[in-house]
Parts: sequence; structure tokens; C-alpha cells
Amino acid sequence: MIRLIAKRLAAAFATVLAVILLSGVLVHVVPGDPVTAMMAQSVTATPEAMDEMRSRLGLDLPVWMQVGRYALNALSGDLGTTIRGNEPVARLLLERLPNTFMLAVAGLGIALLLGIPLGFVAAVNRGTAADAAVMIVAVLGVSIPGFWLGLVLIQVFSLHLRWLPVAGTDFRNLILPALTLGLTYCALVARMTRSALVEILAEDYIRTARARGLREHQVLIVHALRPALISIVTVVGLVFAYLMGGQVIVENVFSWNGIGRLAVQAMLQRDYPMIQGFIVIFATSVVVVSMSLDILYGFLDPRMRQR
Amino acid sequence: MSAVLETKRKRRGWHVPWNIALGLGLAGIVLAAALLSAWIAPFDPTRMAVGPRLAGPSAKFLFGTDEFGRDLFSRVLTGARLSLGIGFCAVVSGLAVGGLVGLVAAFAGRLAEAVLLRVIDVLYSFPDTLIALALVAFLGPGIVNATIAIAISLVPFYARVAYGLAAAERAKPYIEAARLAGINSGRLVRVHVMPNIGQSLIVMATLGFSSAILSAAGLSFLGLGVQPPSPEWGAILASGRNYITKAPWILIFPGLAICLTVLSFNLIGDSLRDLADPRRKRTS
Repeated sequence: MIRLIAKRLAAAFATVLAVILLSGVLVHVVPGDPVTAMMAQSVTATPEAMDEMRSRLGLDLPVWMQVGRYALNALSGDLGTTIRGNEPVARLLLERLPNTFMLAVAGLGIALLLGIPLGFVAAVNRGTAADAAVMIVAVLGVSIPGFWLGLVLIQVFSLHLRWLPVAGTDFRNLILPALTLGLTYCALVARMTRSALVEILAEDYIRTARARGLREHQVLIVHALRPALISIVTVVGLVFAYLMGGQVIVENVFSWNGIGRLAVQAMLQRDYPMIQGFIVIFATSVVVVSMSLDILYGFLDPRMRQR
Repeated sequence: MSAVLETKRKRRGWHVPWNIALGLGLAGIVLAAALLSAWIAPFDPTRMAVGPRLAGPSAKFLFGTDEFGRDLFSRVLTGARLSLGIGFCAVVSGLAVGGLVGLVAAFAGRLAEAVLLRVIDVLYSFPDTLIALALVAFLGPGIVNATIAIAISLVPFYARVAYGLAAAERAKPYIEAARLAGINSGRLVRVHVMPNIGQSLIVMATLGFSSAILSAAGLSFLGLGVQPPSPEWGAILASGRNYITKAPWILIFPGLAICLTVLSFNLIGDSLRDLADPRRKRTS
């Protein structure tokens, strides 16, 4: 078990380091001079100011030294300062991270609450109309863009029915964006639950359980759903990563004060340190969550500890 | 025993591949709209004041008009060409690069395999929309940069698929025979492996198509993809959200267009994948 945790920690650290290096390199992918691109919209773009910016960002050093410096600073928690306002990137992002997590967890909760029962119903009634109906819902779910669903929900619940506010960050404001994410990603969960359950229902021990005369609901819930849930834990990490990716856009639809909204503002203003910082923080969150789930999986399934 | 039961159950199940029929039908409509938009669009999609501002759907303006009095029907039709164009270019280049990376990983020796697989796995754990978003942030907005970014965001997926197919092929005796005959890796892949995995790769390409179109719409919605006044669906939605109460039709029609397009390619991709992989068909 300790070996599993150590291995996962090492892998997570390697991934975060790779992402930090990658986001350090990305600035140099910018066609032309990044300082010119960044200061293009600014009125104070005198040659002196641009030189100063260049040396402040370390852009006059060789590329490998810049990337190395960025990585060392990032590992010690310093992600640089924003171009606009000169504020520390790490602080701005970390301030908003709880909001992002709150929305992501709420969205994931809805996705699991809807997706698991749907997948269960489909797997148990495989090949029937109920199965087909669930699969239609699932394929619709992955085909509807989250930002559009969000706009439709705003139109219906906020503007038409006037049940919920349009934007903000209190509890009532959480409902619509969480519902948007939950409805979009429950399709993915339903599909995964269904295929996990279908595989388990074909196992010999299910036949044995039936042969022993257990009631059908006992067979399905105790013998089939429980192991299926364990294998769902492994994919929850992936669903969470995709949900957080979709959330970047959804936060902008609902003006939700999270890191996704901050990042898109920075992208529109070409505030490179902020964009780099966002990539690092986003990747770290995703990696930490999936690592924790992997370790949790080790606790749930003893077979995993040996690997 | 279980195999016998399996065939019986399969025979009883319905045979009409409704999903592929629906998918092909929808895709046909979208494709026709894209190809014929220049002829069937009643108005110039970027010309302002062809009608009153924010007029509701009517016989003259099927989908209504937007805040500049442009005809929404013409704009949504022309948007099909943009979305399919971006999707097609991104999928073709993403497939070319990703396929190459996957094949190199499978046939260029142990070290290349270990390093490339690790990199592909790390990239694959991040959502493709986010990779596209991050790249566009550095490349700058615009239709070409968005297409490049989306193509790159698809590379990890295609690389993984190509590697999986190639690695399965690698284990087969005819590859060993070819190697013993002294063929080098490059020729081996070109002449022997590609013809065998090409078909499956193309099937998987359709699955990338729908996510490319979703990414393109998302980027344009945020103002980082296709720029207005180009009638890209995401861009139309972004400007339409300011008129959400007065003119909900600006919201509804481009959104439905995205949904139906993505749905059609998802249906086609899923059914093709089931046909190509009998093992999946059994469990799915």
C-alpha cells in the first residue's frame, strides 16, 4: 500500500513538473515577440518600457535558462506577476480556486447522481427500449455544448420563470452552472456505468448468485453494483478532468468567479504569466484529484495494492 | 454455453441500425447545407440591415434576424461550412501527426516507445478542449490558429489509437516474417502495417470530428476562435447572448445546429466503432 502511494506520488510529481516545463516553453511558441504581442494594446508601450518588460520577464536570457528559472520559481510557489496590475499570479488563482472546486464538485455530484442510476437501468434492461432510451440520452448529452445548455437554462429558469439569479457566487447561483455541468457529464458516467455493469453481469459469480436463489434485486445491487462502483471510481478522475475542462467555458457563461473565468480574461488580454499560471494550477488540481482517487481505489480493491 | 445464449439473444434484438441511419441522415443535411450555402442562402450572411433588427422568425427570415439586421438563416447555413471546414482540417492534420507518432512509438524501438507513450498518456489526461484553449491563448485568436490548436489537441487521442492498433499488429507472425526478410521499419509500416490498420484509424477519425467541432464552437464562443463578423456558430451565440431576452432565436438556431452536427458524427462514429470491433459490440 505504501509502495502504491509512493508510486502515485512520484508519477503525479513528474506530471506536474512536465506541465510546468511545457507551459514555460509555450511562451516561446508565440509567433513574433511576446512583449510586442502583450503590450500591443497598451498606451505605455515605449521602447524603454518594452525593454524593461523583457528583462523583468527574463526574456533576454537564453530559452533553456528562462524555462529553468520559470520551473524553479513555480516549484517554490512563485508563478510570476500579471502584466496588467502587476499582481502575483499564484495568489489571484488560489483565491479563486475554492470557487472552481465548489462548482466542479457540485457538477460531478449531479453527474454521478444522474449517471449511475441511468447506466444501471440501461445495463439491467440491456437490449430493451429502456436501454435504447438511456443511450439516446447519453449520446445527446455528449453532443450538447455545455455553454449552450447553460444559456438555455439561464433563458428558461432565470429570465422566463425568474426562479434563479443570472450570475453571482452564492448558493443559489451555484444551482444552474452545476446543473449545466452535471447534465453534460452525466452522459459520460452513464455510459461507463453501463459498460462496467454489463461486463460484471456476464461473470460466473452472478450466475452462481442467481443459482443460489437470491432475489434479483439482491443480485443486482449487492453482487453487481458494488464491484461496478469500485471500477467507476477509477474513471471518476477522468470525468473530473473533463468536467473541469468544460467548466472553463461554463464559468464564463454564468460569470462564476473561478479560475476558468480568470483564465479566459487573461487569454483575451494576452496576459501570458496568468495563462501559464492557470495551466499549472489546473493541471496540478487534476493530477492531485486523480492521484487521490487512485489511492482510494487501492483501499477499495485489494488486488490493486499488489501492482 | 454462453456463446450459444449470446447468438440467440442477438437474433431477437432489433436489426435496424437506427443510429447509423439517423447519423448519416443528419450528416447529409449538414453537409448539403455547408456545400450549397452559397446558393441556397437567401441573403449575404455578413450583410447588415437586410431586414429589421432582432426580428423574429418569419417566412422571409426563417430564423429571424440579429442585432445588425443580418439574416440568421443565411448565417447559420454559412456557419456549417466554417464548422465542417475547421473540423475536417483539424481531424486530417491531427490524424496525420497523431498516427505518425503512434506508429513511431510502436515501431521505432523500446526507448522511443517508452518516452512517447508516457508523453501521450500525460497529454491524454487533459481534456482536449483545454489543450486547444491553452494553445490558442499563445498562438492568438483567429480561424487558422484555432484550427491548428484543435488539430494538436486531437494528436494524443489519435496517437493512442494508432499505437494500440499498430502494437496489436506488431505481434502477428507476418510482421516477423517480413522482418526476417530484411525489410526496414519504415517500409514495413508503409507496405504491411498501414493497409491493415488504415480502415480502423479512419473509423476512429470520425470520433475526433465531433469533439473538434465542439472545441471550435467553444473557442469562438469565448472570442478566441473565429472572429466576428464571420458566421461561426459559437461566435453567433457569443454575440446573441446579449439579446437573450429580446431575441431568443439568436440563441436557439445556432445552438441546435451545433447539437445536430455533433450528434450526427457521434452516432456515425459510435456505430462504426461497434461494427469495426466485434468485442465492443458484445459488451456495449
